[in-house]
Amino acid sequence: MERESNVDGFFMNRRDFLKKSSVLGAAGLTLGTGVPKAKAAGPNDQIGVAVIGTGAQGTVLLNSLKNIPGLKFHALCDIWEYNLKKGMSALRGTGTRPNIYENFEEMLEKEKDVDAVIVATPDFWHAPHTVACLQAGKHVYCEKMMSNTLDGAKSMVKAARESGKLLQIGHQRRSNPRYRFVLDKFIKETPLAGRIVNVNGQWNRSLSKSQDITIRKASLLIPKEKLQQYGFQDMRQFLNWRWFKGLSGGPISDLGAHQIDVFNWFLDAVPTSVTASGGRDYFKDREHFDNVMSIFEYDTPEGTARAFYQVLTTTSAGGGYFERFMGTEGCIKISENPSFTKIYREPEVDMEKWKPILGKGLLRQDKATAPAAAAPSAGTIDVRESAPLAAYDIPVVLNKPAHQPHLENFFEAIRGDASLNCDGEHAYRDEFAIHHVNKSAEQNERVVLKPEDYEI
Amino acid sequence: MKFSMKMKKQVFTSVLAVAVVFVSSAKMIDLVTEIPVPEISGTPVPIQLTNLEPLQQTAPVMQVPEGTVNLASGKPVTSSDDWPLIGDLEYITDGDKETGEGYYVELLPELQWVQIDLEAPSTIYGIWMWHFHAQRRAYHDVIIQVSDDPTFENGVTTVYNNDFDNSAGMGTGADLPYIETNFGKLVDARGVKGQYVRLYSDGNTTNDSNHYIEVEVFGATN
Repeated sequence: MERESNVDGFFMNRRDFLKKSSVLGAAGLTLGTGVPKAKAAGPNDQIGVAVIGTGAQGTVLLNSLKNIPGLKFHALCDIWEYNLKKGMSALRGTGTRPNIYENFEEMLEKEKDVDAVIVATPDFWHAPHTVACLQAGKHVYCEKMMSNTLDGAKSMVKAARESGKLLQIGHQRRSNPRYRFVLDKFIKETPLAGRIVNVNGQWNRSLSKSQDITIRKASLLIPKEKLQQYGFQDMRQFLNWRWFKGLSGGPISDLGAHQIDVFNWFLDAVPTSVTASGGRDYFKDREHFDNVMSIFEYDTPEGTARAFYQVLTTTSAGGGYFERFMGTEGCIKISENPSFTKIYREPEVDMEKWKPILGKGLLRQDKATAPAAAAPSAGTIDVRESAPLAAYDIPVVLNKPAHQPHLENFFEAIRGDASLNCDGEHAYRDEFAIHHVNKSAEQNERVVLKPEDYEI
Repeated sequence: MKFSMKMKKQVFTSVLAVAVVFVSSAKMIDLVTEIPVPEISGTPVPIQLTNLEPLQQTAPVMQVPEGTVNLASGKPVTSSDDWPLIGDLEYITDGDKETGEGYYVELLPELQWVQIDLEAPSTIYGIWMWHFHAQRRAYHDVIIQVSDDPTFENGVTTVYNNDFDNSAGMGTGADLPYIETNFGKLVDARGVKGQYVRLYSDGNTTNDSNHYIEVEVFGATN
């Protein structure tokens, strides 16, 4: 082993990097071929890609991006050298070597062959980064929330309109084949749950998963002056920006945004009001609420629907994270985690509606609730209790990283082969109510949202 | 705010013992090591493996001869990846088992190995390893071999292998894939003899990279 090939060598001497890495060749080698001919792509039918923000989420996205054929990685940008190493490390073995930048403006200035930028920075940087990229003529995939402020989100939508470039927001469930299958087959085509009157969802995260992120190695710390240059008070705030007002919307937007987006998507409506309660009941030193409970009212074509959502950061009780659509004939419980996904049938429902679906194998009855298994055995039955509902599994499994289909959709849209599954215009409407949850809880009042409030 | 469920650290108390052990007559004691604080971060990623071991809920238990020590402490580590970008191979034997940024070394995707040179022929009773415990995940094709040959071409003994489908091409293993936790994975090496310990893996259920925080090799110098 070459002991002198220290990791920092890359940043001190990039010639060494080229010399020592056996898998590397010319900068930005293609990751694959075989995709439809590009309509809006760059030379050689490849889409030039840059990533701003290569921390935890940026690395997650890179691990999906590198699986997508036809991309050429030109640049990675982050203010933390360690994150840049993570980004570079994620691309190792792919035969690609992007340039690295601390400053996104410098990156946009120099990287003329970039067609699309992935933005995975803290929420308060989303709007500045996205707007600058759109104005520079790049398509943008930006992580949710669009912004920590409504003004920021509006600016992103306006910039997309004015530039004519695509803006996809990272509500990745919108491209998850299981979610799309359930919506198409069991809500739109055959509404198995009947009329959906109520919805609930949750993301309950255990205490051990809700701790501050800390860096104890002094060599990894970012100088305070540099942090403040980029809007962070100190290293703790840089690593834990999700807990701070002015940098994020807190757990309701950090975790809840994904699921409240699903509420809107499946109900094909946006909330008419928000009522919420929340508190800093455990983590006293956090600026945002550590637990929030919220109620959203919807005006759907079938009538009023009422949805409850909670995000808790001190318990995983109640089965983690899921969305549940409760109708007059059944219940659809869905989650990014397939093991939390089930469809339940009320016992009095006419099976004629279900037979074709079961016959086609679109659902499989959970063996534990099949008639034979559910038959009563000897003993006393308490007739006051409702029998457990028949449960069904959905035979659609995502066999890719969770974010990959949503990224694929973005690049297919750039090529003109698809429409965005979550463009900025729709994402703004879907996130609009979430911006009012903390306000409702802080002021202890119901916030009414009128149709015109959603307009930009 | 401090995490109220912080684990009480358990300390291996026999580190000063003379490293000569007579197995047949040695008193057997519980093998104990320092268990790092649990610290989970990030969005969970479902683990799609059907043959997983149950989640480790407590520190694993194994008996070893009294006088057994961590032979790997501070020993040199080499790897099939000669230039990791994240972390350093030295982390693997530095005694620091904390998770998160700055505590793990990341190796290239696909089948990779790390190798610890114990610097003397040794008898090995247990190998305790932590790949990455800031997220629930399982590493693929975890294989551990011991040899006196640094090239691992001769005299190789496999002490652990959870490559259930022989995707690594080193033979099908009977051990089950497991979920990473702060308790680590303790492998019974059954007194195998050798100077070098080599650990393989081939990505994990979250991404295709390979990671190590710490590996402890408990035994005695021959």
